[in-house]
Amino acid sequence: MPTLLPVKAILLTLALAGLVSANIAQAQTTVEFWHSFGDAKRAGWIQARADEFNKVHPGLKVVPSYKGSYNDSLQATILAARQGKPPALVQIFEVGSQLALDSGAFQPVSSVKNVDFSDYIKPVINYYTIGGKVNSLPFNSSSPVLYYNQDLMKKAGLDPKRPPTTYGGLLKACQKIEAAGLDAKCFGMSLNGWFVEQWMAEQGATLLNNSNGRQGRATSTNLESAAARNIFAFFKALRDNGYYTYSGKLEDWDGSDAIFTNQKTVFHITSTADIGNIRDAAKKAGFTVGVGVLPIPDGTKRNGVVIGGASLWIPKGISKEQAEGALDFALYMTNTKNMADWHKLTGYYPVRQSSINLLRQQGWFTQTPLQLVAFNQLTQTVPSPATAGSLNGAAIQTRKIIEEGLQKVLNGTPVDVALRETKARADAALSDYNANFK
Amino acid sequence: MLKPGRAVDRAAELTAPEDRAVFRGTVLPWVFLLPSLLVLAIFIYLPALRTLRLAAYRANIILGTEQFTGLDNLTELLLSPTYQQVALQTLIFTLLTVSLGLLLSLGLAWLASRPIRGAKTYRLLLIYPYALSPAIAGTLWLFLFNPEIGVVNQLLGAAFNVRPRWLDTPLLAFLLVTLAAIWKGLAYNIVFYLASIQNLPGDVLEAAEIDGATPAQVFWRVAFPLLTPITFFLVFTNIIAALFDSFALTDILTRGGPYVGHAGVTTFLMYQLYQDGFVNFKTGAAAVQAALMLALVALVTWTQFRLGERRVHYGA
Amino acid sequence: MARDALGTARRLAPPAVASGRRVPHVWATHLALSVAVLLIAAPLLFALVKATQVSGDVLSPSLRPGGAFFQNLASVWSGAHLGRSMLNSLIVAVCITAGKTVLALLAALAFVYFRFPLKGAAFALVLLSLMLPTEVLIIALFDLVSRDLHWANTYAAIIVPFLASATGTFLFRQHFLNIPSSLADAARIDGCGPLRYLTHILLPMSWNTVGALAVIQFVYAWDQYLWPLVIMQQDDKQVVQVGLRKLIEVGGQTDWGAVMAGAIVTMLPPLVVFTALQEQFSRGFALSEDK
Repeated sequence: MPTLLPVKAILLTLALAGLVSANIAQAQTTVEFWHSFGDAKRAGWIQARADEFNKVHPGLKVVPSYKGSYNDSLQATILAARQGKPPALVQIFEVGSQLALDSGAFQPVSSVKNVDFSDYIKPVINYYTIGGKVNSLPFNSSSPVLYYNQDLMKKAGLDPKRPPTTYGGLLKACQKIEAAGLDAKCFGMSLNGWFVEQWMAEQGATLLNNSNGRQGRATSTNLESAAARNIFAFFKALRDNGYYTYSGKLEDWDGSDAIFTNQKTVFHITSTADIGNIRDAAKKAGFTVGVGVLPIPDGTKRNGVVIGGASLWIPKGISKEQAEGALDFALYMTNTKNMADWHKLTGYYPVRQSSINLLRQQGWFTQTPLQLVAFNQLTQTVPSPATAGSLNGAAIQTRKIIEEGLQKVLNGTPVDVALRETKARADAALSDYNANFK
Repeated sequence: MLKPGRAVDRAAELTAPEDRAVFRGTVLPWVFLLPSLLVLAIFIYLPALRTLRLAAYRANIILGTEQFTGLDNLTELLLSPTYQQVALQTLIFTLLTVSLGLLLSLGLAWLASRPIRGAKTYRLLLIYPYALSPAIAGTLWLFLFNPEIGVVNQLLGAAFNVRPRWLDTPLLAFLLVTLAAIWKGLAYNIVFYLASIQNLPGDVLEAAEIDGATPAQVFWRVAFPLLTPITFFLVFTNIIAALFDSFALTDILTRGGPYVGHAGVTTFLMYQLYQDGFVNFKTGAAAVQAALMLALVALVTWTQFRLGERRVHYGA
Repeated sequence: MARDALGTARRLAPPAVASGRRVPHVWATHLALSVAVLLIAAPLLFALVKATQVSGDVLSPSLRPGGAFFQNLASVWSGAHLGRSMLNSLIVAVCITAGKTVLALLAALAFVYFRFPLKGAAFALVLLSLMLPTEVLIIALFDLVSRDLHWANTYAAIIVPFLASATGTFLFRQHFLNIPSSLADAARIDGCGPLRYLTHILLPMSWNTVGALAVIQFVYAWDQYLWPLVIMQQDDKQVVQVGLRKLIEVGGQTDWGAVMAGAIVTMLPPLVVFTALQEQFSRGFALSEDK
């Protein structure tokens, strides 16, 4: 190995060669917008909004581009920031919020310029308000709901007008379904930590200490609490009775959606964002789908859901024009009319109260009653640290740990053992992350 | 990650170096070597040194933090039951894929080399999946083995009324990933075996047959020993492939699950490294794993050379 | 030359090997091979069928071919810029293959036909790199390429780190060692320099090795996934394997028909290279092994 000096020199030369080949700055202010929608429907919608915006703002050029999964695009942003060339606007998923915040690579949107956030739905804006500052602008938001196959319910002698709303109700319905001897399992959903977060919130319980990590860095999880036990016990009951099925792979949204739309399960839980797709698929498969509130543990008051999805962040290290341009575009894209449109197209919530009012005026909810359930679930959410949602910098990892815990229960591990182990692992992940700040 | 030519290299090493140094000059050879050495120094050796350095830090690439922690990463990793389990799983997975994979490919290559009609078509079809990328292979297997709507369970359900849960029954998931990896590597191995079988000395095989050896005897007593060099070479390329190539397959097929004991049953060393480094952003922890992987690969390569030497001595 | 000719001659007469062997149970062989081929090709056939179905059907157990192949293909082609990413992969794979071949030829030339100080050390340096696959170094490599070189989002980032080939160097070195040294002596006496010797005499005698190496390197480069995924974040320069993967990860609304159509098309370039170079491939490796 030669000494490091010549290597440095070589690196420098190579670096310069790289810079020369890189493109040169433009006169127009360019706003690079990195998002995670690879499908033509949603990516196309974003592009259309950018085109409209660019027409009205000749000095600005918003360039949306798809940057892979949320995880990939977060990495891409940090990578670009390291080179001093971050995009002006990035869509980051909710579990990445704390990490994005801790990276120091972003500026709070509320400090770019004064924005009136009063029109945003409370539970949504609450999620992204950290330490009194609105760090990012809500964009695509959703929550989980119960989907049910009305035809199969009828076959099993169940009333499709009254879908189960609690764990107990669901288990009872499963009993009937099993007795009816259908060629379908009772219930299926993607095994995802997101649902556990939702069920904790519904019970008014925080998942993390320090008020869900919002009053200080979270240092431990509440996975041995009664609320968490309810959730794990539900899976134990499902398993013991053979009511539940999934593809077997964690976070396999497509796999579990497909099982439901191929009529292999009667009940299904997934995001409201899938209402459109599932309705279409159901029509094709020849059954009627219904949507109900997320079933929760028996005997608990319904506290509401945590917002899931992603928000729009503005990195540091870009010019003031770029930052303001990015925010202007983000506000344009999420204005009253556009959010209502976005909702109709995708099933994501319109995050503004005025959009909801507009949709009401248009009679949208009477046309599409499926959406109404999802809406009420969100708007009736009781504001609290529990429903504000948990924040931690290792959330990607802790979410997976929780999924693995549930999977253990499904494979026969007793609830207490699974909870203890899951808590220990998740807590270790938290302290491991927090050690970065010592 | 396939590195062919290792046995080849070894053979080259052992060739008595007849002096061919016919051209003069001491600068010129370095000029010829410079491009290769430069690329290796910058993109292999420098990162290797830096990897070793990062292994002594608590680091996070997103946060940009680095704290010196000495050997903490290493001791933590070695004592971690998760890592121990992952290492054991990787070992079993590697043993299974390499041994079964090679046996199967040798058998198929042997059959496809026989003078039968359509042998050429068989050969072509056998090596076809070589072009399929691991990522797509993973997706295909995921479709096929969905417990409720996968084609495999539809068939099994109709024929035998069983519907195994392939992806979340620990043993089945492990076997499925192993099978998928074997399948993925089959074409590559078959290609090498086909080439070698075509080059077997016909007179020796013929002599054996004239002596009244059964086809099985011809295969095991004559052909198999003659194929030792290529088998030896494939064993090592397959070990390297099992260590590195399995990554894309597991990521898509099982995400490393299902979780049993202290780790996902199909989580292997490379997948664990990727998770820690690029999903959980535990850069220091990933670096120490990389360092250990380096040691492992070095060991495999070293063993290959040692064994290679001995084998050749026996042969001589 | 002599060896090569010998090898070729032997190979041109496979019946000498084959016809000598009795084939007692032809039908059993056919059966075994048919079953094996069917099993091995099953996932591929499955992909072919699925690529023709409309997206809603892809995730159903139905195995009936549909008529939506071109519709699916059009949707990946335009929607996911598959054309663009295939072009990128082609650029990258061709550059890597060509670069590796040239660098390896030069290095082998130096190792075989020169005597110079530290030759052993240089050889060891090349040799040892076999022990350090890029995958293992990915974290440090990421820092190096993105922070020090500022190469993230350039083709250079996914080409240059792979240009040196220990395998290729060894393969060519081995091949050169099998070429009678009298040839080089004669060339030198005729006043032929090493580079001219390489391009005019060695190269024409090495096409099999070049072809064999090319197949391996091309498929390897074409299948690259992890490194481009991490380092290349600009869509218009992304390689096809990552492009395909991104089609799958669109957050629960994957167009599986399109993915399958894309997968089929993505297989074509390696298949073409493979079919084109199949003869060289067999010979190139067989030659080095037929001791």
